[in-house]
Amino acid sequence: MDIVLAIISGLLFGYALYLVGATSPKKIVSMLRLEDLTLMKTIVLAIGFASILLSLFSMPGLLNIGHLSVKTMNLGVITGGLLFGIGFGTVGTCPGTCVAATSSGGARKAVSAVLGGLLGAWAFSMTYGWWSSVGLFSVMDWGKLTLFHISDKFPSVFSLGYAGLLIVGILFVISALILPGGRGDPS
Amino acid sequence: MKHQVWLIRALALGAVFFLAVLLAKPIGVSTQFSVLSGILHSAVDETVITENPERGTGYESTNAYYDRGGGKLAQAIANPWNYEFVFVLAIPVGAYAAYAANDKKRRSQMSDAGQLPGAPRQSFLRRYLPAFLGGFIILYGARMADGCTSGHMMSGMMQGSVSGYFFAAAAFATAIPSALIARRTAIRGGK
Repeated sequence: MDIVLAIISGLLFGYALYLVGATSPKKIVSMLRLEDLTLMKTIVLAIGFASILLSLFSMPGLLNIGHLSVKTMNLGVITGGLLFGIGFGTVGTCPGTCVAATSSGGARKAVSAVLGGLLGAWAFSMTYGWWSSVGLFSVMDWGKLTLFHISDKFPSVFSLGYAGLLIVGILFVISALILPGGRGDPS
Repeated sequence: MKHQVWLIRALALGAVFFLAVLLAKPIGVSTQFSVLSGILHSAVDETVITENPERGTGYESTNAYYDRGGGKLAQAIANPWNYEFVFVLAIPVGAYAAYAANDKKRRSQMSDAGQLPGAPRQSFLRRYLPAFLGGFIILYGARMADGCTSGHMMSGMMQGSVSGYFFAAAAFATAIPSALIARRTAIRGGK
């Protein structure tokens, strides 16, 4: 059953990534050069809409809270994010979109990025022990911290629960609608 | 209303992220790069991952990263046919369906393989090395952060995860200047 769900959600995710234009390095780079913010609007709106749905389903208990999964905060998130951004800005792809792009236009460059990514991930596996020994993952180790109290599993900044996440979701949607752009897609 | 097409697509993307949590778990991709490279690694060096029946995962590794968290990654490398790995394998199939369903005009815009007519043909290395090196640094960074655009930024921020906000801020802090510098270099280089 797990495998069937994996196939369904993977197919939908790949379809959606292509649909919003995220598989195109050109669109990612023109977002990052602040030339066409359509993709930025899309990302912000998608996060907000997903938060709203998550809150509305969780409040009456329609969502299994056990499905939630939050990643640990530590200094590695920041240094890793800074490194990630250099590649993201230069090449205009990220792990999900380069996998999706291997079959949907620009395949050869996408495969190059995937192969480079496999080597990069392996290089990290080989150097993790060293990073760990110099304390990268113990600085700013705040655990699986969330803004709002969405589950007893995670510590939270505010004691407010899903109502808080719902409000933030609505704010994200409003921000996405206010951001300029949205007419850039000629299709 | 034609210009509002982005809105419908964005709602679809958000709905997929929510649906994944409703059905199973939040979407994440970059860990599977560690799994696949680990599969190749353990095929070459069979001693790196070994069975350990005393552990909950049943596996241990001589590599600190594969061994982390009680050997979770070692287990995924030894038995990759699980939810997360199959999920990532299904992504290009879904993307291809969307690609095939779209009209030709949009398809040619999505492609980056085409060359301007009359432009000098770039060498193999010059065409593919930047993407390869970019992929390297993207995944090295994503694994260091323990997540990428999907896992940290989209799935993380939709749950109000603090690490998701920090990742997004850090990634855009270098991505925007990098994209601007890359353009300037390209113009100077006469590309």
